[in-house]
Formats: sequence, C-alpha cells, structure tokens
Amino acid sequence: MSKYTEDDLKKELETQEYEYGFYTDIESDTFPKGLNEDIVRAISKKKNEPKWMTDWRLNAFRLWQEMEEPNWANVNYKKPDFQDIAYYSAPKAIDPNKTLDDVDSELLAMYKKLGISIDEQKKMNNIAMDIVVDSVSVATTFKKTLAEKGILFMPISEAIQEHPELVKKYIGTIVPQTDNFYAALNSAVFTDGSFCYIPKGVKCPMELSTYFRINEGGTGQFERTLLIADEGSYVSYLEGCTAPARDENQLHAAVVELIALDDAEIKYSTVQNWYPGDKEGKGGVFNFVTKRGICHTNSKISWTQVETGSAVTWKYPSCILKGNNSVGEFYSIAVTNNYQQADTGTKMIHLGKNTKSTIISKGISAGKSQNSYRGLVQIGSRAENARNFSQCDSLLMGNKCGAHTFPYIESKNKSAQIEHEATTSKIGEDQLFYCNQRGIDTEKAIALIVNGFSKEVLNKLPMEFAVEAQKLLEISLEGSVG
Amino acid sequence: MLKIKNLHAGIEGKGILKGINLEVKAGEIHAIMGPNGSGKSTLSSVIAGNETYEVSEGSITLDNEDILELSPDERAHKGVFMSFQYPIEIPGVSTTNFIKTAINEKRKANGLGDLPAKDMLKLIREKSELLKMDRKFLSRSLNEGFSGGEKKRNEIFQLAMLEPKLAILDETDSGLDIDALKIVANGVNKLRNKDNAVIVITHYQRLLDHIIPDFVHVLHNGKIVKSGGKELAHELEEKGYDWIKELA
Amino acid sequence: MSLHEKLVSSFMVLENQGKLDLDSSIHDIRTEAISSFEKQGFPTKKDEEWKYTSLKPILKYDYSVFPKIETAVEFKDVKKYFLHEIDSYKVVFIDGVYSSFLSSTTHDGYDICLMSAAYKQPKYKLVLDNYFNKIANKKDSITNLNTAFSMEGAYIHIPKNIVLPKPIQIVNFYTGSEKEILLQPRNLVVVGENSHCQIIERHQSLSSNVVLTNAVTEVFASKRAIVNYYKIQNDHENASLIDSTYVQQKESSIVSVNTFSFGGKLTRNNLEFYHDGEHIESHLNGISILNEKQHVDNHTLVRHQTPNCESFELYKGIYDDASTGVFNGKVIVDQEAQKTNAFQQNNNILIGDKASINAKPQLEIFADDVKCSHGCTIGQLDESALFYMQSRGIPAKEAKALLLFAFTNEVVEKIKIPELKSRITKLIANKLGVKLGFEL
Repeated sequence: MSKYTEDDLKKELETQEYEYGFYTDIESDTFPKGLNEDIVRAISKKKNEPKWMTDWRLNAFRLWQEMEEPNWANVNYKKPDFQDIAYYSAPKAIDPNKTLDDVDSELLAMYKKLGISIDEQKKMNNIAMDIVVDSVSVATTFKKTLAEKGILFMPISEAIQEHPELVKKYIGTIVPQTDNFYAALNSAVFTDGSFCYIPKGVKCPMELSTYFRINEGGTGQFERTLLIADEGSYVSYLEGCTAPARDENQLHAAVVELIALDDAEIKYSTVQNWYPGDKEGKGGVFNFVTKRGICHTNSKISWTQVETGSAVTWKYPSCILKGNNSVGEFYSIAVTNNYQQADTGTKMIHLGKNTKSTIISKGISAGKSQNSYRGLVQIGSRAENARNFSQCDSLLMGNKCGAHTFPYIESKNKSAQIEHEATTSKIGEDQLFYCNQRGIDTEKAIALIVNGFSKEVLNKLPMEFAVEAQKLLEISLEGSVG
Repeated sequence: MLKIKNLHAGIEGKGILKGINLEVKAGEIHAIMGPNGSGKSTLSSVIAGNETYEVSEGSITLDNEDILELSPDERAHKGVFMSFQYPIEIPGVSTTNFIKTAINEKRKANGLGDLPAKDMLKLIREKSELLKMDRKFLSRSLNEGFSGGEKKRNEIFQLAMLEPKLAILDETDSGLDIDALKIVANGVNKLRNKDNAVIVITHYQRLLDHIIPDFVHVLHNGKIVKSGGKELAHELEEKGYDWIKELA
Repeated sequence: MSLHEKLVSSFMVLENQGKLDLDSSIHDIRTEAISSFEKQGFPTKKDEEWKYTSLKPILKYDYSVFPKIETAVEFKDVKKYFLHEIDSYKVVFIDGVYSSFLSSTTHDGYDICLMSAAYKQPKYKLVLDNYFNKIANKKDSITNLNTAFSMEGAYIHIPKNIVLPKPIQIVNFYTGSEKEILLQPRNLVVVGENSHCQIIERHQSLSSNVVLTNAVTEVFASKRAIVNYYKIQNDHENASLIDSTYVQQKESSIVSVNTFSFGGKLTRNNLEFYHDGEHIESHLNGISILNEKQHVDNHTLVRHQTPNCESFELYKGIYDDASTGVFNGKVIVDQEAQKTNAFQQNNNILIGDKASINAKPQLEIFADDVKCSHGCTIGQLDESALFYMQSRGIPAKEAKALLLFAFTNEVVEKIKIPELKSRITKLIANKLGVKLGFEL
C-alpha cells in the first residue's frame, strides 16, 4: 500500500458492507399490506385503544388522504406505494407486556449484535432503554428505578392505557396532524414508540434511551415519541436506529414531540444508522421524520443528531422558542455515501423575548451522494433581543457528490442579532501528507480529519453515544475499519 | 544509516535535485545549508516521501533498505521524522489525540499493542516539560491558531514523543525567537544518542550554534557543492552564499 | 380583464397594428416569449423564487402599455439625474421613447445607440442573432414578458481592443404622461476581447404617477474584457422596478455589477452570472437603504460552470420604518468547476420598528476542490460605538449616520468612477437624512 489515494478509499467505500445488515429470524405477527380505514381501526383495536384515540387516528387518516407528498426537498426517489406496505408487524415470540427477563433469547442476541446488549447497558451505562423492533416496544428497563422518582418511561401504547390524560393533553399539539404528509400518515398508523414524562423539579438520574429497529421486510415503521419535561425538570434522551439490509426501500416515518415546560431542559440525541442501501443505490430506508419541540419560559431543548444511514433522509428537528429566555440548539452531523441523499436541518422559531438559538451543522458527502442543509431561523416581531448563531460546514470527498446549503433567515424585529456562516471544503493533500509523515495512514488520517471536522457536534453527545457515533463515522466512510 | 545516492527529483517534470550523494551514520548530526531555491526543502520532502515530487533517478536507503517505494506513513514507521517548515493545521483534532494516534499506528506497524493510557500520559508530561510547553496547547486543535514559534515547538514535541531514528528539521529556526530557539535546540540535543541521527536544514547558522553539527553540506542548484565541518557554517555566515555560487 | 390577459391581447394588437416587424427573427423570439408568458403568468409567492416578494400590490393597476409620443423635457430640469460632472455617452429614453435631444450616442469605432435602430438595420443583424435573448432566463415569465414587448433600449457593441474613453449613461425618464404606465426597456451590451467599458443605469420618474418598469439587460463579456456596471435606483414612492440583468463571461474577463437601491415602492433585482471559460472574475455588490414601506429584493445567481474562476458577492442593507429587504443569493458550482473560489457576504441592519429582512444565501456545490463560503448577519448599530461618539460631542443622529456610512463603506469603495462615488455618497447622506458637514 505505497500509494493509498482517495480513489482507492472510494473504491473501498463502495464495497464496504453495512455492518448491521443482518436479519433476525423471529416469527412475527404482520398485518396484510395496504392502508384504509379498516387497517387504521385494526391497529387501534390491536392496541386496545380508547375511542378518542381511534377517532384521532381516523381523523388523521382522512386528512392524509387529502394531502400530497411533499417534493420541495432536494432529494429524488421513487414515491413509496402506500398500499404495498404492512402497517403493523410485531415479533410474535414476545408479549409486549413482558419484562426484560422474558425477552426472546434470539432478540437478545440481536441486540448484542447491534452492540446494545440490554444487560450490558443496564449494568454499565446506567441507561434506561425502550427498544422498538418493527412496530412494537419490546422491553423497557429500569422502570422501577424511574418510578421512584415519578418518572414515566414506557411504550406510548402503554401510556395511552395508563396515562390517557397526559397523552390526550399533549399529543399532536407540537406536530399537528396536518403538519405535513408524513406527520398525518404517522398520526393515523403509528404503532408504538416511547412516552416519557418527567415530573416537576425532577432531574432524571440516568440517560433514557430508545432503540428502533426495522426487522420485518415490507413493513413501515411509524413510531411516535412524546416527551414531556414538566417545570424545572431535566432529561437526556437517546435514540438509536438500525435496519437490516434489504433490497426494497423500507419506509420510516416517525413523529417526535417534545414539550419543555417552564425552566425545564431536554437533551435529545439521535444516532441514525438505518440501512443506507447498497453501493448501486438499491434498497435502503426512506427516513421521513418530523421532530419538533416547544420551549416555554426559561427552558431549553437541545437536539443532537448523527445521521449516517438511510437511502433518503428528510428531517428537521426544530424548536419553537415560545417562552421568554428559552434556548434552542441543533447540533448535527450528516454523512452521505454512495447514492444516499440527505436533506436535513432545523427550524428555530423565535417568538419569546431574549430567546437564543445555536445551529451547528456538519455535512460530509462522499461517493455519489447528495447532502443538503436546509434551515430556517425566524424572528417574530415580539422576539426582542433574540439571538441566533448558525454555522454550516460541508466537507466533500470526491467530485461526484454534492453539498448544498439552503438557509432561510427571516427577521421581523430590529433588536435581533443573527449570524450565519457556511463553508465548503475538502480534505487537503497537505493535511494527509502531514498525517502520513507522522505514521498515520491515509485511511486513518481521513477518519481523524473527519472526526476533527465533526468535533463540535460529537462533543455534545453523551459519552457512551459519542464513542459509538465516532465509530459509526469511521464505518460509514472507511472500508477497512472493523 | 541513511544513504542517498545520485538522487534526482523534481516537480511536474522540472528537475530540482540533480544528483545528491549523502551518507548519514548513527549518532551524527548533519547540517544542510544553502541559498533559497537550492533544493533544501525538496530534499527533506523526498526523504519523507511527499508524492508531489517525482524521483527520476538514484536511491535512498535506510539501514540498507530501499525506502523509495514506501509510502510516507511506512517510512515514518521505520523511524523517519520530518519537522515541517510550515506545520499543517488540522481543525478539531487535538495535539494529544493526534500524537496518540501516531504513536499507536507506529506501534501497530511494529507489531506492538496500543500504549497504555497511563504510559501515554506520563510520556506526554515528560516530553512537554522538556520543551517547556504549556500543556493547554496539547488540548487545542493541532497547529490551529498557533503562533509560528508554537508550531515549531509542537513539531519538536512530536519528535520527542515519536523518538525517530532519523530526524529531519526543515527550517525549524524560522519564526523562533532566541529563547524558543534554545529550548528547541536543547530538546533536540537531549534526544540525541548513539543510535539516532539528525539532519538540520537551515539557511542561517544561528541554530547551529546550539545544535552543533558534525558535518555541514552546502546545497546549490540541486547538488552538494561543498562539505566540511562545523566551521563551514561560520564561513558561510561571514561570506554569504555568493562565493559558493561561484564554486558551482 | 387581468393584467396578464391584457398584456397577452396587447401583444396581438401590436402585431395587428403592424408595429412589429413580423418577418424578422426577433419577432419569432417575441412570439415564443409571449406564449411562454401566457402559460406562466406572473409569479406568486408560492413560487420559491418569489417567496418573499409579492407582486400583487403592483399588478392591480390598469397600466398603459404602449409608449406614446415623446414628451419634451428640458435638460436643466433633469440635469441632476445625470452624472453631469464628467463627459459621458448618453442613451436617454422618455416614457420609453428615445430622446435624441438628451442623448449623446456614437457609431465611431463602436456602437452606442438604441435597440430600435439595431432591430431595423441589417448591419446589426449578426450581433442580434448571436446575442439577443441568448442568456435571458427563458423560465422567467417576467423576462419573457419583456422579450415579447422588447422594442426599445440601449444597444452597446464594443469591438475588441477598445478602452472606452468615458462612461455610458443609460437613463430612463417617466414624465407621468399616463396615469399608470408599464415600461419594458431592453438593453444589449456586447464587449469584445480586451475591451473595457463602464455603464451607469438609472430609472427616474418626474411625476408621482404610477410606473412599473420591467427592464432586461444582457451583458456579454468576451475574453479579457472588463465591464463595470452601476445601477442607481432612487425613484419615488409610486415607482416600481423589476430589473433582470444577465451576464455571460468568457475566459479571463472581469465583470462587476453594483446596485444601489435607495428608493422606489418595490424593487426586484434579478442578477444572473454565467461563466464560460477559465480565470473569470465576477463581482456582485449592492447597497440597499430603505425606509417607509419600501421593498427591495436582491436575487442573485452565480453559476460556476468552468474551473479556476472566482466570484465575490457583497450586499449591505439598512432598513428603517416598515421597509422590507430580501437577499436571495445562490451560488452553484458545477462538477467541472474545480478550483472555484466563491464568496458571498450579506450584512443587514434593522433600524425600523416594523422593518424586516428575509435572507436566503444558498450554496449548491458539486465539485470538491473548491473554496466556497457565505456569511449572513442581521444586527444593529454598535451601541458602545454610538455612545463613544456621543461622549466626544457628536450628536446621536450624526453618530448613527457615521456608523451607517462605515457600514456601507466597503461597497462604496468598490466604485471605480470617483465622481460617481461622491454622488453615491451624497445619495446615502440624503437618504439617511443628515448633513455631514464635510465632503466625502
């Protein structure tokens, strides 16, 4: 390997296989493909939901039928056939209500392969986990420890049964059913997801975590997450996603709603590693996600995401800074390789006085991929002294990929201060030679430089996640590692 | 240790080195001096394996092994170190993280496991004290926002950490004030032993007051036109390079 | 009848009245343009490119679309609108009709004259065939509208190796002879190899009647040509302007377009640069200083299609009262355009309680070995600097004006004609409502 050039690296990247592309053979209970009111009713029935919930879903379904799939994003893909998707798939071997001890050993083995052995997580990381495979929440750990603090952390299907007043009060208030095509679809057919409530003044003692996995072929995953941090509380929430390698495109359309009441703080971190498709651009997950949070007075929501997977990503975790002195943050790393397309960014809507937002976005494009940042910073006429700082940097590897920046900046208040910067660069030959001279080979040097480029965002991740994220970056961009 | 025979090299077809012959034995310090554009920096880049330059003729061996076919990182693993005239900035990568990666990569190439964190820290402490470095520099992004002097000191710190067989100091004195120069020179001198060797590339003699060379070579127009002892450096300082040009 | 319908039927009237030369190749282009416009209609805010500018308030009028007979205008009454301190070529139109009295044209070695003459005379045919409507954006309905009705404007053709001895002023006056008038000047600028020219363009109403100008200019810069184009927009509160300028550059050419928007009800500047050759430099500069309910939308595109080219974009905006500013700057770097340097900067200061700004700086990069960046800021005057100046005895208003000058200075400094620079400085002073007490 006397001359390891970027071209060699690119070749390796193409042939590198998706590490999580295994399929777990567990018998599952799957609905027939297709979508109509009966299917919506059946999902609701399967979940044993109260009538208000069934009606809510049906309303969303009717609205969805009137809507058109959006096409403004900088992505090209074959629109999914919504009648060719199964909207419910549950692993049969387990009962959603079972405790962790009852979990299918095959499932546990799968988690181990994912590097998230529940046992290990329990012991080592002090993280409470909810795991959603295909459509159903499999196990929630640490329920008891959390209950002592009054923290509710459970599958949303369970919350609908046990805490209907909370769900009813907040669901759909941040992401209305009519928000967009996929949010409407999700509202009609969501099958599970996580629910979390942190009572007043409680600092959640551990990281809460949900792991999502699509296993069954031809299924869509529509999870719904609702997280409420009551006054003065704090929670850090982690979300991980993987899917097995499959030829067909799988659809993932999630909705996440965050509510930070006065003086509360929510940290929401995502490592998204859905199957990106093969090097020819075949298969891979369509990731069309709506994530939004509302900040009341003095509260803070911080989104951190590491996006390495999915064939097509369409995702804008946003903050509505309604309360005075509230703070919104968005830290993002998006890596695209081969034929991946990502159109991601954030919206910071400043409504309250003295509201602050920070946006740091790092896009890395390789192969024939297209990576776009799309963001909105909006300062309302009453948002006195609002502040925003945005930085969007792109790193290009090879000349067949694209990096695009589409920021929208709108200010209606003269006291607002907004700064936006964007740069595009490549890894310098001189940087590579310098690393080489110190004994670091080109591949490792690229990993090092990419990690350095992404550092401001990696630093925002909780420790356990940061290590995983760093590894993911390497896997996504380097052929020979692992 | 290092043997260069009839080395011809250039860039985009333009010849810069036109037949260099040089032998450096273990324990020796060689100084290479010469006017601007004489090929000094090209020589160091070619030894280190910078692929911008094409070698058209001649050989370079290290301990009798041909290194011309090796990539820059493989040469580094064999113990070649070059202190850059213009050290490169790598945003977001701390000096500590960088040097840790470099050391472990070298160890891996030599069949060793990672250096335990405890030993790494001890080594970093020791070497940063040797160079009187403020340790907060080590956690900053590599060379980013460093002054010229800080960058050079950081280069010598890396040299101390990597303990190479052959160290090439390319214009290390430029950008250094006299105090920093002494610290850097002191660092280099302390690292000397009978098994390693140093090539100092410089335009001026002042660094050579502190790192005393065994041999001085004068490079002009891609060739070594005169070799001698340390007194040659003083002669050059007094007379300038013009008389050398006449020699050629 | 909507304006859209009226315009389409007016075109037929024009044809029937024999006012258009039906046999010329230009007419084919016009016919195609009107049918595109008929299909496209006027853009609405649903159109991404018009997201922040609504044409509704200016499309409601019953515009008169046919230029009338020349109205006499005395030079002394309009002298102040010219850069009269220096000698220049002048191409002047009154209510859309060429004014030979106010103009100063030439055919001596190069042509600085009017389009209507160029359409008719065979010796210009080759130039028109090669350049007319070649880079104007066919997808832009408003440009298509101009193309359909293009009958008059400035025609500038400089052969190679000529450095023009003096600048060219293109001035369009509106006398208010009609209550509501729509004017559509069309300019063509072709600059040959190694040639150099400077152009100052101005649209000026002489009454407060409603006027909408839909101007289109195509600029072609050959190898090593240098073109400096200045646009002064300081019209009254019932005048609106949609100005579309398209620039194509060949190898090693340098083109700058500098836009100064201080007046008018609604101003939209479409500015598009296309590169065709290496080592090209493009400069896009602008200052907008708005008050009351003015609206200015600077909409730029730089398309890097070839390697080793550079573009520099700098727009500054100051918005008082309830004015609105828009900056939409797009830089596209094609896969072939390696070693591109593209810089874009947009700085804004909001002063008015109801003022607002919408900015959309975009980069679309398809090449890896490039240096591209954009920066956008929205802020206020530095309070501590204001206080410091006041503490030295400078009244608040003057202190504020000085700081605003400083803010715009970076762009003013790029003006290469000294007399124009001082004129622009005075316009800025007037606009900010301060007597400076010293000459800048």
